[in-house]
Amino acid sequence: MELLKIILEKLIYGGGIVFDLAKWLIVVFVAVMIINTFFISLFFVDGASMEPNLHNREAILWDKNSYHIAAPQRLDVAAVNAPSDPTHKKYVKRVIGLPGDKIEIMSGRVYLNDELLVESYLPSDLETTDEGSWTLGEDQYFVMGDNRPNSNDSRAFGPVDRRFVLGKAISIVFPRFRLIKDI
Amino acid sequence: MAVKGSKRNKRPVVGVYWRKLFFMSGVFAFIFFGLSSVQLFRADAVSTDLGSSGTDYSSSSVKIVDMQIRSDGSIYIDGKKSKTRVTTIGDKEEVRIPIVDNVAKYFSQVKVNVELPKAIANSIGHEEILMHSYGSYMSFSVVDSTHVTFIATDVSQLATVTPVITMPKGTVNPPLLLKIIGYLTQFKGSVWAIVGISIPLATMIFMFLFIGYKIRRTKVDIPKEQSSFPPMALPPALVGVLYHQTVGAREIAATLVDLALRKNIYIMDRERDFAFVKNKFDTRLLSFEKILLSKIFKDNIFSDQKEIEERINNHLYSKKISLVTGGIYVLATRLGYFKVNPQKSHLKYQMIGIFGLFIGVAGFVITLVRFPDPAYISFFWLGMAAACLVIMSLAKKIPIRTPLGQEALSSWLAFRNYLASPDKIPFSLSNQETFQKFLPYAVVLDCEVSWARRFSEHGFEIPGWYMTAETGMGLQEFCLSLYPIVSYVGRSMAAIREPGFK
Repeated sequence: MELLKIILEKLIYGGGIVFDLAKWLIVVFVAVMIINTFFISLFFVDGASMEPNLHNREAILWDKNSYHIAAPQRLDVAAVNAPSDPTHKKYVKRVIGLPGDKIEIMSGRVYLNDELLVESYLPSDLETTDEGSWTLGEDQYFVMGDNRPNSNDSRAFGPVDRRFVLGKAISIVFPRFRLIKDI
Repeated sequence: MAVKGSKRNKRPVVGVYWRKLFFMSGVFAFIFFGLSSVQLFRADAVSTDLGSSGTDYSSSSVKIVDMQIRSDGSIYIDGKKSKTRVTTIGDKEEVRIPIVDNVAKYFSQVKVNVELPKAIANSIGHEEILMHSYGSYMSFSVVDSTHVTFIATDVSQLATVTPVITMPKGTVNPPLLLKIIGYLTQFKGSVWAIVGISIPLATMIFMFLFIGYKIRRTKVDIPKEQSSFPPMALPPALVGVLYHQTVGAREIAATLVDLALRKNIYIMDRERDFAFVKNKFDTRLLSFEKILLSKIFKDNIFSDQKEIEERINNHLYSKKISLVTGGIYVLATRLGYFKVNPQKSHLKYQMIGIFGLFIGVAGFVITLVRFPDPAYISFFWLGMAAACLVIMSLAKKIPIRTPLGQEALSSWLAFRNYLASPDKIPFSLSNQETFQKFLPYAVVLDCEVSWARRFSEHGFEIPGWYMTAETGMGLQEFCLSLYPIVSYVGRSMAAIREPGFK
């Protein structure tokens, strides 16, 4: 009761540690929210579809602002809203096709505008399954996981609109630091 | 009171007390990782356990879902209101809602009967998303002008079935609040950024105008003439609070120099660090001076830099320093220099500022949660919060001196003119005494460097209260040695004052 009285007095008289710490906490909280909402955030990979480049439970730093400034680039590793449930699910996939591209999967390989796409980030013996052909609209991207036999991506849900491509993965920060551009 | 060229390599005081900074960095990291830990981004793999667990065809069934899209944009699934609403995407209105999502049950067929808000079945766009299901198929058909149907077959236990409908803009008429939200989210981020900057800027301009108006109303005569003597016998800290309206590092530093001059303490320059030595117990000490001494020395008569830093660093806030500053404010108010205790006046604006800050931050958080990403409208609330900080910061400059205080300040400003005058004072033993005697006043009146410049360096004799092993120290070396010590202690102590302490 005495403690409550002291705390109330502090609050009523507006001073002291409570308000000053609150002030600092607010500043920190707002700074974190601004950074987290508009600039850089962190997510954890949940699943195996980006193996062998991203592993389950790896922490990834991603730039939320990059695609507001410039369009997604081919081979970017991007955070993508799940077209099936954009409110609740987010994916991490690699951007393969850009607006206007023709993507064809044939004989285990990816053809981009009728030319074989060289994918140095994949194991040499890895084949891309689920044959098909897609021509992207002016605002559409084709995204795939690096673990081609084991990834739900544009082969399953089709090309994604740009509004679903949220931001660019920058680096793995846990358990080992690596820049995404190096993988 | 920063003096360039200090020979000491002191720990930097960056305006933020380092312990608070350290503490808050921890909080920052905690919040940042806390927020991030809930963000799981799926590297969504095709399920490989379908084969092992097997599809339970024995429990296969047909799932029929009735979806109603109402004219206000709300969506009802089997009579229950969904949290998902019709969203506006460019010139379309879209419904995208998962009907089946990893429900651990096989359906031979999932049928979604959709009732549209208007007779537009033949003009809507549609997309069928069926994931995590082998050999399955999803189709769309128009039943009549207000009804359409999606049918998915062989839907596995892990499947996601999402029908997507795009309707012409204006099909639904959302409630006013949602219309306003929709309208506000149309503006670009740059527009909201400008709004966010403009609010504190406008507040700052208003505050400056208001302070200017108040200054004109309670005009302090700024004398042109010089007064070579202090107009009255006042402790330097009180002169400081009369001049600045706040008790800060300068007032504490000046009090230390004043205590040294009165031979209550010695200041020791030990080349690599410094120390204070208690001399005599003076019964004429003012209460805030006694408390300051007890903060520095505790029960000892000697206190070096390490001990003082430990005493400062042991606290996020110091009640003793709060008592020191509170005591100075009370004395200045009792002397009739202020209409109200400046501390109380600061507190009033602090309360207003904190209230506004709270509203701003609450609005910021609500906006981030309720508005679609990226919620640039949150910049408005940030602007409001920043405006409150401007109020809290500038309110200290609003003049609250009484006519007596204005008159007293005017007299002290005449003395300040003397201290800050560029004319050299020839050095003599008597003048050296003058230099020391007025030094604390020069500190609180922001002119200690100008005051030192008035004296030539020749023939300087180190004061008795200042102990150093260095020989042949000139006035400049003395200042370069003393100022950083008292400045450092003053700033460190001012930083641990408990704000609003009564």
